[in-house]
Amino acid sequence: MSMFTYAGIVLGVMVAVYIAAKFLRLSTELGMLAAALGGGLVGGFGLPARHIAEGAMTYLDIILIFITATLFMNILKESGGIAFVVRGILVRFHRSRALLMVLLTVLLLLPGALTGAGSVTVLITGGMVAIVLETMGISKVRTAAIVFIVAGLSAAAPPVSLWAMMTAAGVNMPYIGFFLPLLVPCVVASLIAIFLLGWSREQIDLETALKELPRAPEGMSWLKVILPFVVFVLLVAIGRRWPHSTPVIGLPLMFLCAAGTSFVLSPLRLEFLQISRETIAQLLPLIGTLTCVGVLVQIMTLTGVRGLLAVTAVTLPVTLVFATLFFVLPVSEAVLMWGAAPVLGVPLVLLFNTMGLNPIVALAGMSVIWPLGDSLPPTAIIGRLTVEVVGYRDSYGRFLKSCALPAVVIMIIGTLMVVFSSRLSFLTGL
Amino acid sequence: MVFLQMLITVIYYCLIAYVAVILIWNLVKTRQWQHEVLYAIVLLPFVLRLLRLK
Amino acid sequence: MMADRNDSDVGSRLPLVRKLVLSSLGVLLLATSGVSFYRHRHLEETVVLSPGVTEVKRLSDYFDGVRGTINDCNLYFLEGQEPGATMLVMGGTHPEEPGGRLAAWLFAENAVMEQGRLIVVLSANRSATTVTRLGGAYPTDFVIPTDWGEQAFRMGDRWSNPLDQWPDPEVYIHDPSGQNLAYVDIRNLNRAWPGRPNGTLTERTTYALMELIRRERVDIVIDLHEAELQYPVISTIVAHDRGEELAAFVSMMLSDEEFNIGMEYSPKNLHGLSHREVGDYSDAVPLEFEAPEPFLDATRGRTTREQLLTGQDEFVMKAGEHGLLFERIDEHGWPIDVRVGRHTSAVLQTMESWTILNPDRPLSCRGVPRYAEVIEQGLGHWLHDPSQAPPGRVVIE
Repeated sequence: MSMFTYAGIVLGVMVAVYIAAKFLRLSTELGMLAAALGGGLVGGFGLPARHIAEGAMTYLDIILIFITATLFMNILKESGGIAFVVRGILVRFHRSRALLMVLLTVLLLLPGALTGAGSVTVLITGGMVAIVLETMGISKVRTAAIVFIVAGLSAAAPPVSLWAMMTAAGVNMPYIGFFLPLLVPCVVASLIAIFLLGWSREQIDLETALKELPRAPEGMSWLKVILPFVVFVLLVAIGRRWPHSTPVIGLPLMFLCAAGTSFVLSPLRLEFLQISRETIAQLLPLIGTLTCVGVLVQIMTLTGVRGLLAVTAVTLPVTLVFATLFFVLPVSEAVLMWGAAPVLGVPLVLLFNTMGLNPIVALAGMSVIWPLGDSLPPTAIIGRLTVEVVGYRDSYGRFLKSCALPAVVIMIIGTLMVVFSSRLSFLTGL
Repeated sequence: MVFLQMLITVIYYCLIAYVAVILIWNLVKTRQWQHEVLYAIVLLPFVLRLLRLK
Repeated sequence: MMADRNDSDVGSRLPLVRKLVLSSLGVLLLATSGVSFYRHRHLEETVVLSPGVTEVKRLSDYFDGVRGTINDCNLYFLEGQEPGATMLVMGGTHPEEPGGRLAAWLFAENAVMEQGRLIVVLSANRSATTVTRLGGAYPTDFVIPTDWGEQAFRMGDRWSNPLDQWPDPEVYIHDPSGQNLAYVDIRNLNRAWPGRPNGTLTERTTYALMELIRRERVDIVIDLHEAELQYPVISTIVAHDRGEELAAFVSMMLSDEEFNIGMEYSPKNLHGLSHREVGDYSDAVPLEFEAPEPFLDATRGRTTREQLLTGQDEFVMKAGEHGLLFERIDEHGWPIDVRVGRHTSAVLQTMESWTILNPDRPLSCRGVPRYAEVIEQGLGHWLHDPSQAPPGRVVIE
């Protein structure tokens, strides 16, 4: 049997098992796990315990980031800090809607740009920004769309863009010259997204808004809210400024320090253990997805299904590659998450390079499109996180529809950057 | 510096242990079978790291 | 969100039984996988010392900062019968590229230096030999058939094991250049040169290796690698500025007499790699040899031990038909014997070419097979039976 037939059969079985699992009302996470187990069995590997466990380990560090960042946010929320900040922002900026929207965009862009993770944006500032957007009269579904789109762009924004960094490392290209090619499209697309989805001439009714918002507890102050963030930013900054005279702290511990600060400063007495349990329960679908995706990718690699998908994508005719980037990149992200960069990014950048395109600008263009896949199943990791944090309870399909318009804008910007990368090479400054 | 780095690594193992305990606690308390399976599979990497196997 | 109130369970026993069954399955999965991981990390690889090995030292003899760590690797010294230059051959910088380690193995088990001195490292990043790439589905080990049976080797990773270096930062800033790299590369030995005495384990390892190079006045450092066929730096010698003449000479001789191999310059703005930093921070001439390894390609098919050894892959061939590769591949693949043979010949040719260019500091070696011999007899022919070795001549790697 040829490798193409073999991997094709395994892929078919995995898809069939996934569909059957959904039909049996299994959750997405368990559906993926079932698909992985089915793939292993049909692929002739039986129930490969070592591969299941190794796959489950893949995203352990990211899971730790999710847990500690959410713990921090939950402590801040329980201590009344979030309510305090939202009320404060509204009181100060309710007169100028445009200025408020630009400010919120910056707030959303910063955490992801610094850490390379859209999830951090959603967890750190997403919830707060969402409440402000809602009090501005923007519907919950549009609010969720704004937070998701800008969070995705924040992950692609410089200085840390994991897709660009991982692909650059894969082709032996230094991570230099990416700042403007990443910054310009991310800022432009973020502003387009927030104004497309959130603009109206309607004035903010401050009194009603404040009445609807929860009250902050006695003793809460700006200092008590800001200090945990200062601790976090300081830890990141110290690591950047003196990377070789300080130990590696890592994002989970940074978030834990921020959470600890927030806990100590809380004017209310908080139950740390209870908040921890609730945080884990709240995150179960997400960390479960990450774990199961890890298993799925491992089995796909083991059986050659990953190779089949990758080789199919990169051997399409060049015009078709350009024309399908908007589709292929998000889908690869939806299945492999950051794993899409080494699997698809590397061969695509090499392909573009041999065609005479500018690899830096082309990769930047691709990096802008990739995060859109974080809203798509099977993983939909940032999309689901956003929906959870914003508190949107309606259909996920409606949320995706709201994202469609800015997503199309981003796809166009990204694809044009790839196609015209040579002409845009001045952005690299090299 | 090497000592400090080791200290941070120890803190990470403590964090892993703490999360593992919470995961087990929630696994025991939950009454939905799909959640039970998810807790179990999510727990696996935490225990493997804690036992310094992977 | 906490309490799962919408429960469909009837009766109170069912959840308990279910939890017990589930826990048992979980423990079974944990135990089975745990045993596999433990065996991988503790698999003992034997080295039967060549008669030419005059001393086995440890890396910590050069820098105390790696003493007691997993990266305190063995250093095999082969003193020549006559004086000459000193060459360091390193395998295991990236242990997921087994050809590099195995080629170095053939030197440790067979080489006898006639002129000059050879130092061999089999596990430059020993930590990375104890783990495989997450999501890569690589086997934990592989065996090479020999004249006396089979010899098992650990399959490794590109990065140090997180069990030995954890956590990672959100971005890796290389010292001393300040260049930003992907966070995982803080555990990549070939992004950590020239190292730091008080840095991470990986940085301390490269610092220790730099100390070895400086104190032993090494003239040539050869770093053995393998590369995926989609990677542009393949089937080539990457040379530091000071090694251009030597690398060009070696490339010309090998391409003329044995197999095609290119030569390229080490980029000045790409930091942390041996071919750049070793040259900048010591008097040695660093060269990096790259052999083709389809097992590393992201487009590869089924990931098996057989594929690791044969280097045959239909999907990679398909990518080649579309001009996406930087090295040819056909149905014969890139067998391990071919990859190892390229490296042994390249090292031996470097000694010969160096001697022509530096006749006052010669290097010459016998006992190690060249390209054609490795392919003809299989590399296992040159791996020796530890049970037949003289006392004290077997070392565990």
